[in-house]
Amino acid sequence: MKDVEFHNVSKRYQRPAADPGRDRPPSILERCLRWRDRRNDFWALRNVSFSVKHGEALGIIGHNGAGKSTILKLLTSITAPTSGEISICGRLSALLEIGSGFHQDLTGRENAYLSGVTFGMSRNEVSAKLPGIIEFSGVGDFIDVPVKRYSSGMYLRLGFSIAAYLNPDILLLDEVLAVGDVAFQAKCLNRIQDLRKAGKTIIFVSHDLAAVERLCDRTLLLSKGEIVYEGSPRDATLEYHRRSLQTPEVPAHLQDASRVIECTHFSYRSTPESEDHTVRTGEPMVVEVAYVAHETVPDVVFNVYLYWPSGYLCTQLTTGDQGCTIEKGAGRVTFSCPVLILRPGLFLVDIAAERYPEVLDWRHRCAILRVDEGPIVLGDLHMPHEHRIHRTDTASKEHFRTEEAVSFDGQA
Amino acid sequence: MTQPVQIIRPASFSILAMGSHFARLVQFRDLLRAMTMLRLSVRYKQSLLGYCWAILHPLLLMLIYTVIFSHFVKVRTDGTPYAVFAYSALLPWTLFSNGLSGATMGLPAHSNLLSKVYFPREIVPLSYVLAAFADFLMAFLVLILLMFHYGIPLSAGALWAIPAILTLTVFLTGTALIASAVQVRFRDMGMALPLLLQLWMFATPVVYSLSSVPKSLRFLYDLNPLVGIMETFRGALLHGEAPDWVLLTKSLSVSLVVTVFAYGWFKHAEVTFVDVI
Repeated sequence: MKDVEFHNVSKRYQRPAADPGRDRPPSILERCLRWRDRRNDFWALRNVSFSVKHGEALGIIGHNGAGKSTILKLLTSITAPTSGEISICGRLSALLEIGSGFHQDLTGRENAYLSGVTFGMSRNEVSAKLPGIIEFSGVGDFIDVPVKRYSSGMYLRLGFSIAAYLNPDILLLDEVLAVGDVAFQAKCLNRIQDLRKAGKTIIFVSHDLAAVERLCDRTLLLSKGEIVYEGSPRDATLEYHRRSLQTPEVPAHLQDASRVIECTHFSYRSTPESEDHTVRTGEPMVVEVAYVAHETVPDVVFNVYLYWPSGYLCTQLTTGDQGCTIEKGAGRVTFSCPVLILRPGLFLVDIAAERYPEVLDWRHRCAILRVDEGPIVLGDLHMPHEHRIHRTDTASKEHFRTEEAVSFDGQA
Repeated sequence: MTQPVQIIRPASFSILAMGSHFARLVQFRDLLRAMTMLRLSVRYKQSLLGYCWAILHPLLLMLIYTVIFSHFVKVRTDGTPYAVFAYSALLPWTLFSNGLSGATMGLPAHSNLLSKVYFPREIVPLSYVLAAFADFLMAFLVLILLMFHYGIPLSAGALWAIPAILTLTVFLTGTALIASAVQVRFRDMGMALPLLLQLWMFATPVVYSLSSVPKSLRFLYDLNPLVGIMETFRGALLHGEAPDWVLLTKSLSVSLVVTVFAYGWFKHAEVTFVDVI
């Protein structure tokens, strides 16, 4: 059964008329004449067709302006398509930009009613759910205080609680997970996982590729209003990165590197002998960087930076702080890791030749490191470890009464 | 369990779809109620006189016009004290003008909400209409006090004011829907409205009586649906008169046609509100 279906949906927006090379704004007459000027049209979506099965979690990713939010706006009836047809089967609710509909002067309780009925619930339904909402949000007595007196955290929690208690058949999710503290994010994720287990259909639109991989069964990649890739979340994120690699935006301060040493090539494999480029968590990895030195340079440091898909620095391979003299000519740097501790996934790679504080060459986002599954890892890293099990004579809690440890029943 | 199926298509103008639009509106009636209450409670927040403003507005207008039209210029009122004469028409007029100007500014003021959540958009202008109606009811009590003060008896004929007010509300709803939808695309509506309302008031027997309008101009003058409404309302309350049926029927039919058309057009326009707001 299909819960959501898009049939050749297109959406056109009219760009405000902008005429380059002219300073004064268009006159009334010109504006009237241009009212239907097709040159200013902008297609946010072009002939998009896809469907979501009942109980499926679909991820939609894409760069800014790819048409992700337009899809959300169409699904929520906020705006209508220019052509095509969308059919939705079931009650749909959206978790978009939490708390945006709040009215500052009203109390939390009044806002809960207002938000509830805005999403199409009746007053009685809201009344029935209000105790649960207050409980989940944890705002307590503040529920009868105007929301303008709320801390931003309370504001957020109340907004999520209202949305999470709507009990929809189809749930639309925006970048909601990007806000709030860690505990709140975990709470949101738990609630979403519960909804998934309850067989709800989920459409998740996000930049957070890791969250998309975790939550979704299938992923669409949008680019300039068209679906360019459809497949497993893992493959779609790889494709997403491939596409963004073609036009990496190099930070300005890296562009004027002297390039007396140029990094020319990056490769990785599991052992120096292996032919293919598969590396797995828990297995060794060898990384090679090839370079060409146009002159002999002292104190050179080679660095390989690995980033999470979100762009945060994950870790670094380096030839050390001191640096060494690189003779004129070509060469290669080999980094050997006995155990690859990164969990399966994609990592973005920067390569740099530096002579602190000067940057000789910096290849920004020049490659992707793909780590495949080795031993199953829960969490972010695989920590190499050993273990030993042995008997003790007394059932004592003494071992835990140290500064580093707390006994399991909470009595430190 | 059968699931509700919803089909979203490009915007199209159709009077026939109005039934389903209206059903949607009924489904969201709690939101309409909540928004109306919001109008009433938020408007007078941080104001000293609070709800008194609902009464003060027509009352002060009445004082101004009484000074002008019964002391500086003598206006024929067919024997009624000018203060009651003016107030009895300023009351429905304030309902109309406040409802219309509130509704016109309403949608752009809620652009944030409109772009985040779907709900039948007519709820926003309608909530202003209903809030203006609530103000009207409050200010109505003052009219009763004024009539008591001037010794004007309240007869059973006063009940004819009810169809007049209902007709006015229908007409106000129609014009509010049109004006608010236009305002979304062209802010000129909001600029022109105060002037338009002022003109409209002087084209309606509010501060003067219908009998002072030249007979030769009446055919043109009576095109204004507010004429029949104001005359019926004032006649019923002050004199217990039955309405002039021709006038009132004309007003009612114009109001109904305007409102039906306005609703159809509003629903056609609403799907692209957020694209242009």
